Amino acid sequence: MHALSLYLHFVRVRIQSQMEYRFSFLMDTFSHFCVTFLDFTSVALLFARFHTLKHWTLWEVAFLYGMIGISFALAEMIGRGIDVFPRLVVRGEFDNMLIRPLGTFYQVLAYQFQLRRLGRTSQALLVFCIASSHLGIVWTPVKLLFLIAAIIGGICFFMGLFVIGATICFWTVQSIEVLNIFTYGGTEAGQYPMSIYRYWFRHFFTFVVPLAFVNYFPALSLLGKADPNGSPMILSQIGPAIGPAFLSLTLVFWRFGVKHYQSTGH
Amino acid sequence: MLRVYLEFAKKSFQKRMQYRIANLAGLLTNFFFATVRILVFTAFYAAQTEPMPLDLNEVITYVCLTQAFLMVMPLWGRAEIAETIKDGSVAMQLAKPVDFHGYWFADECGKSIYYVIMRAIPTFVLARFLFDMWIPLDLTVIILFLFSITLAIVLGAAINITAFGTVFWTLDATGIVGFAFTLSTFFSGFLVPIALWPEWLQQIAAWLPFEGLVHLPFSIYLGKLTGGAALTAIFKQSLWVLIFVSLGRLILRRGFSHLVIQGG
Repeated sequence: MHALSLYLHFVRVRIQSQMEYRFSFLMDTFSHFCVTFLDFTSVALLFARFHTLKHWTLWEVAFLYGMIGISFALAEMIGRGIDVFPRLVVRGEFDNMLIRPLGTFYQVLAYQFQLRRLGRTSQALLVFCIASSHLGIVWTPVKLLFLIAAIIGGICFFMGLFVIGATICFWTVQSIEVLNIFTYGGTEAGQYPMSIYRYWFRHFFTFVVPLAFVNYFPALSLLGKADPNGSPMILSQIGPAIGPAFLSLTLVFWRFGVKHYQSTGH
Repeated sequence: MLRVYLEFAKKSFQKRMQYRIANLAGLLTNFFFATVRILVFTAFYAAQTEPMPLDLNEVITYVCLTQAFLMVMPLWGRAEIAETIKDGSVAMQLAKPVDFHGYWFADECGKSIYYVIMRAIPTFVLARFLFDMWIPLDLTVIILFLFSITLAIVLGAAINITAFGTVFWTLDATGIVGFAFTLSTFFSGFLVPIALWPEWLQQIAAWLPFEGLVHLPFSIYLGKLTGGAALTAIFKQSLWVLIFVSLGRLILRRGFSHLVIQGG
């Protein structure tokens, strides 16, 4: 409980410091909104030209787009500290964290909080709401809870990727940007239904990197749609649980990494 | 005098040579994005019966081109020079008897040359084998494309300096730069080829500078703009370069006149 209140205090301080450059903050939040808005416009442009995408309509794709967008933007907002972690290792600042009486993961998490990602979150939420009203989805309490669980699962998934990227830094010291393939690349790939991809690609993002569980499988369940590739419905129902499981696994890796940390010194 | 700026460009190039592993990671990321986009376009084209302004192979080539030249697009990544304005270390540079815009321009060009050699050329080679990217064999097309892509890179540098130059007023340019970045990735045709857009939106793009970054050079590459039309495109690009170089110089001059160096 103490850790949580301390974390919230940190978040408040981070927000205050971002508000120092108020104009830039507003412009940045607005531009995040616009970036992702035009991002979605390009999906819509493709549908305007081609009409359908292998059994999927524009609004179904928008539904997927909204879900992964919300998860990713929130993960970036909360987990930005893990993302910039390499800097802490390079400058030897991680030493400071090791001598404080609080878990290292909490401290790294509290190191930054990116409020400007709200721009992207709200855009994704807007797309999601419009899509769900076009699709005529009736939001029963069970469905709503399932959706929230799926979003949290998605946040956990992306945070897990950040943790892997950060942990690798204990050995490499510099930031290895290969993980961008799965964070940014994953968001890009997850905007479209998994079923349109090739066999190897689909299976990689289901069983190796569980991206499909962030939005594709939960969305199938929410839309009441069967997977055109005939995967069992159970995958859709367990979807939200995969993210937290993935994050827990990566945290084991993190702890292993912390043990192997060698300071670069000041 | 020109030698000084060539030296700046060389230094900028050498600075980037230090990050070869990061470049390799970037190359991998480029390929991943290319793969996703190509798979998506393949799925869209699969059920298509009506003729399209670009056929699937042309779109694949276009996607490979966008990934090859991604890093020379403006407003992408960090701008170390804008950061020196924020932290005050720009004072050292100002003490030197060189034109600041020229120095910044040389730095951008050095960066672009690095990315053409280390990113664009490997992408071309790999994409040729992996995705069967189309390569023009007509010498006129190749020469026109080389002209046009050079202008695109120069235009990118000029837009970059103009957008980051606003850092004098805001101290943190990420907002304005982000906004300009959005406009440029969309209206350049980077996300969706302009040829596939509805007519009315194409009209708007034609009046904006951004098409000179992607749409015009790539259309020349694909042989969609030939002869007089290609020359008109190159003329348009040159005009935008002129406008943005002047604008950038103006912004920097105004900016320095009320610059406060922070720290000591």
